[in-house]
Amino acid sequence: MVIIIIGTIRSDESHVRSDQPQADGVIGMYAIGGAVGATFYLEPSATADVDIFVMLPTAPGSSLLSVSPIYDYLRARGCRIEGERIVVGDWPVQFLPPHGALEQEALAAAAETEVEGVRTWVLSAEHLVAIALQTGRAKDYARIVQFLEQGAVDAGKLNGVLKKHGLMSQWEKFKRKYLQE
Amino acid sequence: MDDKERRRRLASLPFSEKLKILEKLRDRSRAIAASGLRKTVRQEPEQAPNNAKSKP
Repeated sequence: MVIIIIGTIRSDESHVRSDQPQADGVIGMYAIGGAVGATFYLEPSATADVDIFVMLPTAPGSSLLSVSPIYDYLRARGCRIEGERIVVGDWPVQFLPPHGALEQEALAAAAETEVEGVRTWVLSAEHLVAIALQTGRAKDYARIVQFLEQGAVDAGKLNGVLKKHGLMSQWEKFKRKYLQE
Repeated sequence: MDDKERRRRLASLPFSEKLKILEKLRDRSRAIAASGLRKTVRQEPEQAPNNAKSKP
């Protein structure tokens, strides 16, 4: 099991090896989301940070999930905290435990890939679109339009995800407003 | 090359290549932010002070 931390993975300074946190049991399954995740399917577009959805193991004797073990782990290896993010290499990274059924499913269905010989996971195009729709900021809608314009989503799979998670009415509204259907 | 073709070509690059482009875009955004170029709106007083001299 591996975690990709962009910037560090390509850095010759191995103060954090990209595959260590997961291998050491600090985190469970993870996948890249947000703009960096979208870049797996689309042309690159500027973003300031990296969102990583991550399944956090619960501490023995506790039902609480916390990202602090990840931050502690990385801080001990020279990474610095900037607000809600931790800067790894040159990238501010935010670790996000999945909230709700959609994000949990997205994490479980993440696509496996490899970056410079390191195994990593990226949320599926359909889940990225569904999460963007659910989040509903202007930049999320713009990203959905990019996915559709570039034919980067499987319409059948997307409809399945949207129906399953009760997002059809939002989807219809989105289409009326932005796709002029 | 038209815009559609350029986007299609960029989208078809390997992920690792795209990550390098993302890093360049991020660094450029940071450089622009640091240069103050984004502060395009100058704070002008609504009225010139009484002792202000008008430009020729």
